[in-house]
Amino acid sequence: MAQVPLGPLTWVFLRTGNLTFGGGDPTTLALLQELVIARTWLSREQYALVFALARVTPGTNLLAFCAGAGWLLGRWWGTLAAILAVSAPGAVIVVLLTAAFESARQTPLAMAAIGGILASAVGMMLGGAINMLRPGWQTSRLRACLLPAAAFAAAWSLGLSPLVVIALGAAAGALWRGTADQ
Amino acid sequence: MSLLLLYLLLLKATLTSFTGLGSLPLIHNDFVVQRNLLTEQELNAAVAAGRTVPGPNGLYVVSVGYLVAGTPGAVCGWIASITPAFLIISWIAWLGRRMEHPAMRRAIDGVMVAAAGLIVAAAIPLARDAVTGPVPSVVAGISTVLVGFTRVNTLWLIVGGALAGLVAGFLH
Repeated sequence: MAQVPLGPLTWVFLRTGNLTFGGGDPTTLALLQELVIARTWLSREQYALVFALARVTPGTNLLAFCAGAGWLLGRWWGTLAAILAVSAPGAVIVVLLTAAFESARQTPLAMAAIGGILASAVGMMLGGAINMLRPGWQTSRLRACLLPAAAFAAAWSLGLSPLVVIALGAAAGALWRGTADQ
Repeated sequence: MSLLLLYLLLLKATLTSFTGLGSLPLIHNDFVVQRNLLTEQELNAAVAAGRTVPGPNGLYVVSVGYLVAGTPGAVCGWIASITPAFLIISWIAWLGRRMEHPAMRRAIDGVMVAAAGLIVAAAIPLARDAVTGPVPSVVAGISTVLVGFTRVNTLWLIVGGALAGLVAGFLH
């Protein structure tokens, strides 16, 4: 597949990555529309390969997806352009928001608003945990119930390091066959 | 704390997670519990800031770096966020065909479900700090349901949470 010029490549990732709210999944789907359907820069098979590999790459799936797509479209420069375009503007906004949170601590009404935001952040974390369980639920419901419960107990009651819990989760997951595997 | 150590701690968290918020338990353990570099409320604010912006959820790590060491810390957090993404290039070259191996898929599933349990464990201390009355409880409950079961734009949850907090503040 021919390499894509760096300018248009950067623009597509900049626009799609910074105007799509809701996290990685909606943005990845928006990139399917841009890269595969609208511009045919990637084939569906290439998109599927990068999508799958991004799931097993540590860190943020969306950034791994952009790195992989950027690699296929423009090798090292394409990778750098895609990652910078998707992450740098958001990183700047995150810093500005954090600074705003910090300076607003002196104002009671602002603190009340921040309290509401923090409560919604707790809900977002719990909702995110539900989303993380959904794919495993399709494979084995018993595993999707017992493994997170065991991980929670190991971290909360036994005080095990998250790194150890994650390693144990990987080992248990590899050894425990779900109904879809049998 | 040196910037190199900050980067390495954040990198440890991002390298051992498979979703944006999957790094949260390790960051909570390292920065709040073990080293007292952040309070529960500061980590909570970092998560909220990271979820407010479009694009990757994992950018809350930038906020963590900023709260620990200012702008240089934010740069450390940003680099720690993007570093693992480069691994996919070697994946594409070497592991593309092995993805179909059932044990590999099950191991990834195991990591994901274990991370979900860890996130709940990490959310409890944050909830103790942030969910302190009926209004925050309702906000947290609605946010959980909307994020877990719909595709709602999380920006609306942030706006809704802020408005609910303001109303509660006026009523007090």
